[in-house]
Amino acid sequence: MESDGLQNVDMVRIPAVPVFNWSVGNFMERFFDGLKGGKFMGVKCPDCGRVYLPPRMICERCFAKNDEWVELPPEGTVESFTLAQVKVGEDGELADLEAPVLIGMVKHEGADTCLVARIEGPDPEEASVGMRVTAVLDKSAESILDILSHYVPR
Amino acid sequence: MEKQVAIVGYAQTGYESDVDASREILVLEAAVGALRSAGISREVIDTVVTANNDYMDGRTISNMRLVEPSGAWLKDESKVEMDGAYAVLYAMMRILSGDHDVAMVIGVSQASVFPTYVPGVMTLDPTFDRERGLLNEVSAAALQARAYMDACGVTEEQIAGISVKNLRNAALNPLALRRMPVLTVDDVMSSRMLYSPIRELNAFPPSDGACSVILASSKKAAEITDCPVWIRGVGFSHDSYLTERPLDKLGSLKQAAERAYAAAGISDAKDKIDVAEVHENFAHEELMAYEALGFCGEGKGSALLESGATKINGELPVNPSGGALAANVACAAGLARIAEAALQVRGEAGSHQVKGVKTALAHGQTGLCAQENIVFILGGE
Ligand SMILES: [Zn+2]
Repeated sequence: MESDGLQNVDMVRIPAVPVFNWSVGNFMERFFDGLKGGKFMGVKCPDCGRVYLPPRMICERCFAKNDEWVELPPEGTVESFTLAQVKVGEDGELADLEAPVLIGMVKHEGADTCLVARIEGPDPEEASVGMRVTAVLDKSAESILDILSHYVPR
Repeated sequence: MEKQVAIVGYAQTGYESDVDASREILVLEAAVGALRSAGISREVIDTVVTANNDYMDGRTISNMRLVEPSGAWLKDESKVEMDGAYAVLYAMMRILSGDHDVAMVIGVSQASVFPTYVPGVMTLDPTFDRERGLLNEVSAAALQARAYMDACGVTEEQIAGISVKNLRNAALNPLALRRMPVLTVDDVMSSRMLYSPIRELNAFPPSDGACSVILASSKKAAEITDCPVWIRGVGFSHDSYLTERPLDKLGSLKQAAERAYAAAGISDAKDKIDVAEVHENFAHEELMAYEALGFCGEGKGSALLESGATKINGELPVNPSGGALAANVACAAGLARIAEAALQVRGEAGSHQVKGVKTALAHGQTGLCAQENIVFILGGE
């Protein structure tokens, strides 16, 4: 390529920021209402009995509408984890974190799917798949999305 | 599949981290290159299928201004908003429908123009995961890597062995972005840690570029070339969202491969496949792919790597081009695997040519932790 690149226009800024005002849907509403009250609410497939947490409206395996609500305990097992040294920064690139963050994928007892949240407490060297953890809720969190604060080992 | 649809031409641009060209010029270069490789003119093309992404291109209906550089003006043109490997499937079906004889497929994107890791974040569940700032394509892949390592007893050094093999191979491929002829496991292990166990050198390099492949019906293929590369089989499969499936294996890749092998009449993949181009966004995914593709038993991916079988001079070379670790253009990386596999069947791969390739496998993936997978089996006469 022989051009010298764009000399006159540095960056075009789209005059609108795409913000999407989705409804989270009735199922996630109930999930968040549960968290506010300190409960983990999942749903069960009427056909195969698979339990979805967070709740999903449809069991893709059975092509069935999930309809039975079940309350699950705050305890679960780490299915996988990663120690983050970076995060996706404001510019969409990987930016170094000031301190590493341990992220876990946790399957609550009685659930068949996972939630992803921070794990606090263990030395990252001691984190392991199969580690048993308990959820810590922060009911005073500013955003409803942050009520599930993190997990701690038990 | 009997000889119904063949690859008759292909081209890739050189891959760069920040190319000094517009996406239109990249597409033009790939389109003109593929036409030249097939020895045909634009007039022979009936239908054009592009693979590109509105988000990455920063415009809606982002294929619109690709009509000119792809040669699609006043032709039957369409788009796939996934990897170009799926555009090949679409183009193949358009030919099999009988309505078209010759199709051009082009995949393009430029990581240098979009915020590299935002498209991955945008694919997360918007009612929870996306808003919590923990998951993205690299952290998700790290969870996948850890789950696989734990299930199969794989070490970080063994995963680094994939990066060493592929990036050394890339040194033989003049188009590759990361060409590292003397790379060692220690070099990989001391590269920047992103999300453990994933380091910079076992993650894909954000890349700019384009790839084009021309397909033809059997009748037209015979007119165009003496060495068509036949699509002998294809299979694809789409798994669940990443928190709702086991991450320690690639179930949908296994299923896609089984469908492709059945279509191609292959019962022993390790014996019948002469070379494979695998779309490994992260090094550990190639080990997982060995198992899903049936090149070895479950949990035996690292043993297969360490046996040397998948080296460029081994029994079953994988990613002689360097794979996606060497250059990973979103929407074109799986398509490039198909172009590379075709190159190997034709014996046109130059320094990274594998000897005596009759049957080649090409794999493409889309989605976090390889949620969707597609497998092509290609063969010569
Ligand atoms: Zn079900």
